[in-house]
Amino acid sequence: MEKVKVMVVDDSRISRMMVSSMLAKTNFEVCAMAENSAEAVALYAKTKPDVVTMDMNLPDADGIECTRRIHAIDPKAKIVMISAMKDAKLIMQGRMAGIGSFLQKPVSTNELIDTLMIMCNENVGAVAVYRESYVTTFAKVLQQSLVSIFGIQSEVEISQNEESVLHVDGVAAVIGIVGEPKGRVALYMDSETMYSLSKAMLGMDPQDDLSADEAEAAIEEAGNIITGRAVSRINDVFKDKEMRITPPGTVIGSDIILSNPELISFNVVAKTSYGNVFMNVGFARGV
Amino acid sequence: MDVKLVNPFIDAFTTVLPQMGFPTPQRTGMTVNNQNAVSQGVAVIVGFTKEIRGNVVYNMSEDTAKFIASTMMMGMPVESFDEMAQSAISEMSNMLTANAATNLTALGLEVDISTPSLTVGSDFQIKISNEQYLCVVMDVSGHQVEIDIAVQQ
Repeated sequence: MEKVKVMVVDDSRISRMMVSSMLAKTNFEVCAMAENSAEAVALYAKTKPDVVTMDMNLPDADGIECTRRIHAIDPKAKIVMISAMKDAKLIMQGRMAGIGSFLQKPVSTNELIDTLMIMCNENVGAVAVYRESYVTTFAKVLQQSLVSIFGIQSEVEISQNEESVLHVDGVAAVIGIVGEPKGRVALYMDSETMYSLSKAMLGMDPQDDLSADEAEAAIEEAGNIITGRAVSRINDVFKDKEMRITPPGTVIGSDIILSNPELISFNVVAKTSYGNVFMNVGFARGV
Repeated sequence: MDVKLVNPFIDAFTTVLPQMGFPTPQRTGMTVNNQNAVSQGVAVIVGFTKEIRGNVVYNMSEDTAKFIASTMMMGMPVESFDEMAQSAISEMSNMLTANAATNLTALGLEVDISTPSLTVGSDFQIKISNEQYLCVVMDVSGHQVEIDIAVQQ
């Protein structure tokens, strides 16, 4: 994957160092650093970065004015503001000047990388954006939820789904995602795993009786909780995106094919002592 | 659940299908169910949320799905229910639900819809509600499409 060039504009040397150290081991490469607006415009023209991080307070003009000057030479310039202040007025003025995203200091590495990924998705590709910014969160939440809901440890693996279909033997809870991006999550497993997990969820012993209805309802609720948590966590990072989830629909049976030819989807597998728990996270093509 | 919420879905079906070259569908049945729906072969689940939340399922036999896909593709023969035919049925479900969402907005109920999830298989069960849901059967040129609609109260 080709390196994505970033220009850092900040009057504080420490802030510039912090941003460049966060990007050090990533696919982003700091191609220029500017400490004032005049320097930023000159270096933008010279180095043509893919994205710019912009501080609000600069000695010769503020970050919004500097954004306007950069947009005057490149209307397609992608600029993310990183400033100590982040309020509605600043966001409105910044949006009008052409700032694409807003982050508040101190910025976490994940937040910065996620934001740059989203802004440069045409450079890094939609698949990488979905994987790094969304699916890894789903995988982490799945792993944590298996502990908090069922009390089990797991090993989690993520892979891109190369086939356009999923094979379900047992139960699959399907939860839709609306907003930006749109998609759906399917949490599925075989019947044996379903019974073991739902008994653990309800605090029952393995030999206790549990009806199929109740076991299916437990998995459906687990799917709902896991998807809801993951979506909330993503919404917290991307303040201007809001995803919401639809109620689960559940399919139960053997030899079911779940087909989503128009989704970019990822398989997350959690290997547990009760069996494998599969989660497929798919997003509509075109961010 | 409120029966008046069903009309936006039926209206969408009778409006959208003729635009894709089908004769006007007729409603041939409507029941209130509380058992899980049973797949007739191809079932597409579309979720919705915002002012009302729920799911709609378009449930049909594979033959019907092939007939619909073929008509949507200007009469191109559809021998097997392959990826292209699956895309056509997904897209139809998306269009129907988007149209129903517009109709719901007219009732003052804004909803956002998810991407469709298409399932294929025989005799598997589909659960979209813990309570009752409505099941409407529509006839399109002698082919039956069951629409299951569940709205959370």
